[in-house]
Amino acid sequence: MKKLILALVLFASLTSCKKSDKAEEPKKIAIVVSTLNNPWFVFLAETAAKKAKELGYESKIFDSQNNTALESDHFENAISSGYDAILFNPTDAAGSVANATKAKAAGIPVFCMDREINSTDAATSQILSDSYSACVQLGKLFVDTLGKKGNYVELLGIVSDNNTWNRSKGFHSSVDNYPGLKMVAQQSADFDRNKAMEVMESILQAHPDIDGVFCGNDAMAMGAYQALVAANKADKVKVFGFDGAEDAINSIKEGKLTATAMQFPKIIAETAATYADEYFKGKKDFPKKLPIAVEVVTKENIDKYIAYGKK
Amino acid sequence: MNITSQRVKLAKFQSTIALLLLCIFLSILSDKFLTVDNGWNVLRQISVNICISVGMTLVVLTAGIDLSVGSILAFSGAVAAGLLKSGISFPENDLFIGFTLLGTILAGVATGSFLGFFNGWVITKFKVPPFVATLAMLTVARGFTMLWTKGYPISSLGTNFAYIGTGWFLGIPILVWIAVVVVIAAMIISNKTALGRYIYAIGGNENAAKLSGINIDKVKIIVYTLAGALAAIGGIMVTSRLDSAQPNAGMSYELDAIAAVVIGGTSLSGGRGTIIGTVLGAIIIGVLNNGLVLLDVSPFWQQVVKGMVILLAVMIDKANSKAE
Repeated sequence: MKKLILALVLFASLTSCKKSDKAEEPKKIAIVVSTLNNPWFVFLAETAAKKAKELGYESKIFDSQNNTALESDHFENAISSGYDAILFNPTDAAGSVANATKAKAAGIPVFCMDREINSTDAATSQILSDSYSACVQLGKLFVDTLGKKGNYVELLGIVSDNNTWNRSKGFHSSVDNYPGLKMVAQQSADFDRNKAMEVMESILQAHPDIDGVFCGNDAMAMGAYQALVAANKADKVKVFGFDGAEDAINSIKEGKLTATAMQFPKIIAETAATYADEYFKGKKDFPKKLPIAVEVVTKENIDKYIAYGKK
Repeated sequence: MNITSQRVKLAKFQSTIALLLLCIFLSILSDKFLTVDNGWNVLRQISVNICISVGMTLVVLTAGIDLSVGSILAFSGAVAAGLLKSGISFPENDLFIGFTLLGTILAGVATGSFLGFFNGWVITKFKVPPFVATLAMLTVARGFTMLWTKGYPISSLGTNFAYIGTGWFLGIPILVWIAVVVVIAAMIISNKTALGRYIYAIGGNENAAKLSGINIDKVKIIVYTLAGALAAIGGIMVTSRLDSAQPNAGMSYELDAIAAVVIGGTSLSGGRGTIIGTVLGAIIIGVLNNGLVLLDVSPFWQQVVKGMVILLAVMIDKANSKAE
């Protein structure tokens, strides 16, 4: 019993010690990111962490592994361990609202990055990359490149991911206006390079005569391109990707891929970190939604870009 | 000949019959299915799964399981790719010291073998159930992959390395050659060697095997090491085929491998099954994947169909083993 009391006293003294120190400690920022299994999100999270450090804050990255329940655990941990702000890349537009609301109730500001949540007041601000309208633009370029007629293939990302459908719907809102363009196959390749190559190899057996491929991300575009090379069709078929990843930028430079959509994860992440900084310094009035424009990258303007951003 | 013995005979060829039926069905529905090009496609695509599944079969025969093969595949491939890209250069002497192609491949395979060995060591010396030990390795090896690649793909590995994944030798893709060599080696091990007999004996009845003097721990460690090595070979194959080591490579490959093993008629409780059955299982999955895309079946339905096929295979297998 004595030992227990001693231990409790020791514990209490330690915890109170920590609390009194807290005022001098730098503020802590939690970066909760939907997944780290995709280089794009790794870049987003690391850039946010780097910017937070530059601004003089401690930060920690939490990986939700595309799982809204795990994300909820991260929020609870971040709230209870005294984080002062959350830079948030949500897993799900609807499912993540509750998590952001929880943080808000605890008095912690949430800044959404890249992906939106379906709530106007749960997050302090949402810095968003508009996949839908980017794919509308990309779709227009697709129509022009193929001369308004021909057969094409669409490779979707993970079919349970809402980004997959935002991109697909944006693309089709442009392309479906042209009856000369016929989609001969629409398959999922899970945003994965290997799966895209395999699926494309099979599609090429069924539909050897295609003119274009639209892919929901750059990894799939690279995989599809490799399948086309193996089938000696790479010169004839135009491949479109999405993201602005390093491999895709290099491939556009070399004339292998036709186009991709450049999102600006660096700008998104740095803006979110800067907003958190401003919030700590007293600013409370932020735009509810700040759209970050997405730009179409082709061989013509490739010199302006590097992986995940502008030179 | 009575009906029961006919059923037993039939059961032996059940995977072959299922594959034939599937092929006939697909050739009727699509005139693109039964072509030489498509045949090579399917064989190239399944070659990686065959390598992993062969290792998985050996593990399952001892009544174990290896959930870590997908992560080991990713890490081994990434190690090989990373070493291929790294090296020290001395520009003033026009000298570059780095790994040779063979060196990187061996390093990759050694990495996978070591992780497999570690699985076996933990399972035998600390009596950790294989499911738990390899589940832990699944996470750890994926974490190693992320640390090694920092989350970004390692790409542009050069034409020599890419030749493994895209080249042909004597009219057959290199990837298929690798799978064939692996399968033949595993068939010899399982049918013609003492090790093979021990593997079946342990899966059949571990206590009896122990009493008859078999060094159970040693056999199990060898089996898990082999599974790790074969996953690493798969990792080299995937990396070379894509000319890129992807941090998320091999995700859920363990499930494809287990599916191939189960469809091939190997019992998950150990002691019963064959390498050739697993090869047929892998071909069935490959043909199914290919056929569903050729027929342009919606991606939602594809998942349902694949699951049903696995279930059906095991149900038929159970019914047959009862008859036996």
